[in-house]
Amino acid sequence: MTLFFQILGMCLFLLVFLVLYRVVFGPGIFNRAAAVSALGNKTLIILLVIGFLYHRVEMFVDISIVYALLNFIGTLAVAKYLEMEQRKL
Amino acid sequence: MMTALKKDIIVRTIARLFVPFIQIYALYVIMHGHHSPGGGFQGGVILAACMALLMISHGVEETRKRISEKTMALFSSGGVFIYVGIGVLCLMMGGYFLDYHMLGSLLNVPPAEARSLGILGVEIGVAIAVMAVMYSIFYTIATAGNDMSGDEHNIHDDDGA
Amino acid sequence: MIVTKILAVIFMLGGLFFFLTATIGILRFPDFFTRLHATGKGDTLAVFLFLIGFSLYEGFTLTSLKILFIAVFMVLAQPTATHALSRAGMRCGETILLHEEKKEEKKNDSSI
Repeated sequence: MTLFFQILGMCLFLLVFLVLYRVVFGPGIFNRAAAVSALGNKTLIILLVIGFLYHRVEMFVDISIVYALLNFIGTLAVAKYLEMEQRKL
Repeated sequence: MMTALKKDIIVRTIARLFVPFIQIYALYVIMHGHHSPGGGFQGGVILAACMALLMISHGVEETRKRISEKTMALFSSGGVFIYVGIGVLCLMMGGYFLDYHMLGSLLNVPPAEARSLGILGVEIGVAIAVMAVMYSIFYTIATAGNDMSGDEHNIHDDDGA
Repeated sequence: MIVTKILAVIFMLGGLFFFLTATIGILRFPDFFTRLHATGKGDTLAVFLFLIGFSLYEGFTLTSLKILFIAVFMVLAQPTATHALSRAGMRCGETILLHEEKKEEKKNDSSI
């Protein structure tokens, strides 16, 4: 079972690098904001997989709830700021 | 420009649905500081984050009508007062500053439990102060320093000078 | 007991599949709004399946109820964030690649 979680973690980690291409090279700020939101989702799952690997799930569940919340509020704040400023970056 | 855009109904509804649950979770994080990751500072930041969510979804004017700056100033001073108050209470009972086992005779509990309760009280003070300060920082940055609430007093000051 | 663990592994593999397709989508789609489709729908479903799998793997404890709480929060909050981003993109005039323009592009490329 440990081997299964390790392979799962490695696959998700490689997916993070693929999304980083869109964060760096996305033309304009909107593509980068969408890619950062996707990155936050993958980070959430990687946190829980690490919790399973170290047999201390209770600790990592609290951290991942807070991270899901902060990702949501951050994306809303960026969208609201860009809508208010009405300019294309 | 802010009043020209109508506030989005989807974001407003979801924010109104989530804010009570986020506040209960912040209280959970404050109370379980010694069992799991958390404590005073983290719980205060989560409380300030849910107020930031209210400001983002409903607008800064609406939130200012419900939570004024005077309330937040009182909260921040109150949080520090709780922290220093518990420390000075231990000092008055005959121990050092923040030496919690002296509170055992005051609350009729053994000294080990008095230490745990003292730390809990201090964490609550820290959380209230942190929430108030982060709300004030976010409010000042969001309005860029143009405070709408004290306009009557400002006008009188200019006439007097 | 072994049936729930096998079911949990199946859910986790389904979640991994949807993560993979959402990542390929955000890399290969031609426009901002189509990329929002990929990440808004694919990532949300993948996270939901993963969290159901984790909760089944743990059994019936307090931790698995907390994981179900994250799952409900994610299903409600992630589409809202996607909606806010797409509204902002619409206001700021992000280019929308229409079907006729894409056919024109392909015709020009093939003629060269």
